[in-house]
Amino acid sequence: MYLSRLHLRNYRNFAEQTVELPPQGVAIIGDNGQGKTNLLESIYYLEIFRSFRGAPDEQLVRFGEEVFRVEGTLRAPDGAERTLAAAFERRRRKKKVTVNGAEPERLADALGGVGAVIFSPSDVEIVAGGPGERRRFLDIVLSLAVPGYVASLQRYRQALLQRNTLLRGNAAAALVAAWNEPLIAAGSRVVAARARWVAERRDSFAAHYLRVAGGQPGALSFDPCFGEWTSADTRPDAVAEEFRAELERSADREARRGMTLVGPHRDDLRFSTQAEDGSALDLRTYGSGGQQRTAAIAARMVEAETIRETRGRESVILLDDVFAELDPGRSQRIIEWIDSSDGGQVILTSPKPSDVQVHGHSLPRWRMVAGQVVPE
Amino acid sequence: MSVIDELTGELARLPGIGRKTALRLTFHLLKAPAEEAQRLSRAITAVRERVRACERCGNLTEQSPCAICTNTRREHGLVCVVEEASDIMAIERTGEYRGMYHVLGGRLSPLDGIGPAELNVRPLLERLKEGEVREVVLATNPSVEGEATALYLHKLIAPAGVRVTRIARGLPVGGDLEYADGVTIAEALNGRREL
Repeated sequence: MYLSRLHLRNYRNFAEQTVELPPQGVAIIGDNGQGKTNLLESIYYLEIFRSFRGAPDEQLVRFGEEVFRVEGTLRAPDGAERTLAAAFERRRRKKKVTVNGAEPERLADALGGVGAVIFSPSDVEIVAGGPGERRRFLDIVLSLAVPGYVASLQRYRQALLQRNTLLRGNAAAALVAAWNEPLIAAGSRVVAARARWVAERRDSFAAHYLRVAGGQPGALSFDPCFGEWTSADTRPDAVAEEFRAELERSADREARRGMTLVGPHRDDLRFSTQAEDGSALDLRTYGSGGQQRTAAIAARMVEAETIRETRGRESVILLDDVFAELDPGRSQRIIEWIDSSDGGQVILTSPKPSDVQVHGHSLPRWRMVAGQVVPE
Repeated sequence: MSVIDELTGELARLPGIGRKTALRLTFHLLKAPAEEAQRLSRAITAVRERVRACERCGNLTEQSPCAICTNTRREHGLVCVVEEASDIMAIERTGEYRGMYHVLGGRLSPLDGIGPAELNVRPLLERLKEGEVREVVLATNPSVEGEATALYLHKLIAPAGVRVTRIARGLPVGGDLEYADGVTIAEALNGRREL
């Protein structure tokens, strides 16, 4: 399945733009500020229905306009087509998503429709940024890959918000405790899903890191707020038991601090490499810029694998100017990785008209000037 | 403002009715026989004048105590706690339940400033003190807020020595396992029973 057509209206700097994309993909060349990243962002919008850059929907509407619309058509090898569309109205703050013209019952049902993964220079924040960045990465991957994850996460956030409101207002302990079970029920499913994903994917992460880094070992591990969940069959009920005990232990501290102190909202991921003496070196604190970037790329590769296995088809790979900051060796190994998968569409952007060979052929080159796409 | 605008405006304030629908309803009422509009107007007035909350259970009724509370053939030892009076109608439609009700008038939601004092919790405790009630069925919604409300009430009622139960959650009857979402299936598995 590949993205065969994209139509944008009033999205960022695009007034009206329709592009027909070839199955193998395309290299979009243009100076900074012409809209290359915006184009990739709009494609990925159809995957998660928000900006991968974390921009609020209001900011995605073209300046001076009221509504933006993104529509993408996916074509399967047998010619079957599926149309995904998303529109947002600024004034009413209303988002409308349709799949083949029909609104899904829940937005979560339409998530992951493109099967895309985006590699961007800001990915380095997954490794070098705060824990919130890593949870965001985990939550997006798991929302796309694990049925029911979004629902559990939403229930957890709702329970957390309600419970924190009580704690902040010095409410009676009995009233606070009433929110424990809803918090535990949803939260333990979130923790279990995260633990399982990391356990299932850590070998694959290590392999990707090793290859991209040209021989240096790297590791991914789950750093949960409580307990040690390293097994691929971590059960929500086992997590729930520990969560309950942990909440009881911290009840006094929570009352004093006026907020919930334990739970998946404090989970983290750890990226590490091996120091010369064999000990693990946390890349967030001690990694070089290159090592952090390598870990972020390996994390995206693992994401792509997860999406591919979940959807049962090749993912659409979006590369936003990733080669600019990498040495030729690392860039080459990313291309090799893309080549090793069979036949996924690649849409990349670059400020320089570099020749990118994917699957033995040069990608067709387009030029992007002020929100207009021109084939070269 | 013309009377047409006034009626359209009033209709558009109703839940689930937008500006367009309101306009359509207004023109329908103008086109239909005058008697039809008068009937609607009388029905609205009557419902507001005659319907109030039952002094005992909070159900919406024309006479207080309501027909359920005064029905001697129903089980007075069984009380089903619901969020809203409209939930009673849903349960009554099943014809499966023969006990009493208690309407909370909402659910706990600290974010909206709703605590136990804002709900009909005290009247429920008063009812339990009378000693006739043997079992309380907590039938609040399976939302995060509904769950918390049920758990809070459970803690509150349990010391009174009354049996407290919670309605089951799980797969809808006639639903296909393959189409149920993960959370529902997980709940259904957790709530599994011996055959």
